[in-house]
Amino acid sequence: MRQADVIIVPCSGIGKPYGTVSREAAYEITEELRPDQTQLVPLSLLVLGDEATHSIVERNPAITIDGCKLACATKMVKECGGQVAHNIAVLDVYRRHKQLKPQGIAILNEGGLKLAHALAEEILPMADQLIEIARKGEQNG
Amino acid sequence: MTEFLKITIDKFTFNVATDRYYNEEGVWALAQGNRVRIGISDFLQQRSGDVAFAEIKPQGTVLAVGDETAVIETVKVNISLSSPVSGSIVEINPLMETAPEIINQDPYGEGWLAIIEATQWESDSSRLLDPHAYYSRIQIQAEESV
Repeated sequence: MRQADVIIVPCSGIGKPYGTVSREAAYEITEELRPDQTQLVPLSLLVLGDEATHSIVERNPAITIDGCKLACATKMVKECGGQVAHNIAVLDVYRRHKQLKPQGIAILNEGGLKLAHALAEEILPMADQLIEIARKGEQNG
Repeated sequence: MTEFLKITIDKFTFNVATDRYYNEEGVWALAQGNRVRIGISDFLQQRSGDVAFAEIKPQGTVLAVGDETAVIETVKVNISLSSPVSGSIVEINPLMETAPEIINQDPYGEGWLAIIEATQWESDSSRLLDPHAYYSRIQIQAEESV
C-alpha cells in the first residue's frame, strides 16, 4: 500500500445495504475526490492481521465509517493501535436524508447511491482537515 | 425497579420485563392508573435491528385495540405496531423525533413510544399476554429463527 495522509476504513458488512453505502462513499473519497491524499483500508486486511496494513493504520489518522452499531471499523482500528480521528455512522447520515433509503446489496438503488454521495460529502471536510494537519506537519519538519 | 426474565439462545440474550403486559407483536403496555405507556420489547427491537425512524400517530389520535399506533423503520424492516389498548394518545416520547435509537438502547425505559389514556384497560389487559406467556412465545420464535 502506498503512503497517504488519511486512511478511510469502511464497514465490511457484506450483504447489507448500509455496509455497501459505507464502501461506496469510501470509494468516492479515495478514488475520485482525494485520490492522492487518502487511502482506503479494507477491514478484512486488518482482521487477517496483514502487517503492511497494520503499519499504515498505526502511522496515519483514520476516518472510520460504520454500517451498524457494532462499529467494527472503529473498534478494529483502535485494536490495531490506530488513531480514529473521526468516525461516522451510515445510519446517522441516513437520518439526515430520510428520502434516500438504501436498498440492494451488490448493486445499490438510486437512494443508496445518493446516500453514499451525501456520506462522502460529509466525510470530505473531515479528510481535508486531516490532510491540512499532515501538510503543516510536513512543513514543520 | 424493573425485573426481567432472560432467554439466552445461541449468542443472543433477550429480556422480558415482568412488570407489564404484551401483545402478540411484542408491543408492551405498562399501566399507571388509566394511563398506559407503550413501547416495544427487547426481543422485537433486537430482531428488527437498528431503528432509523419512529413515527408515532399524533397526540389526540383515538385508537382501538389493534389499530396502528406507530411505524418504525429499521435498517432491516419497516414495522407497523398495533395498539395493545383502546384509548387516545396523550403523550409521545419526544426522543422518537430526535433520537429514535433509544428504542434499541433502552426498550423498556427511555425508549417508550407513547402514553395512551385507556378507556377500558381492565378488559383490554385481560386479552394481553403476561410476561411468562410472552416469554414462552418468544422462546419458540427465537429458537426457530436461530
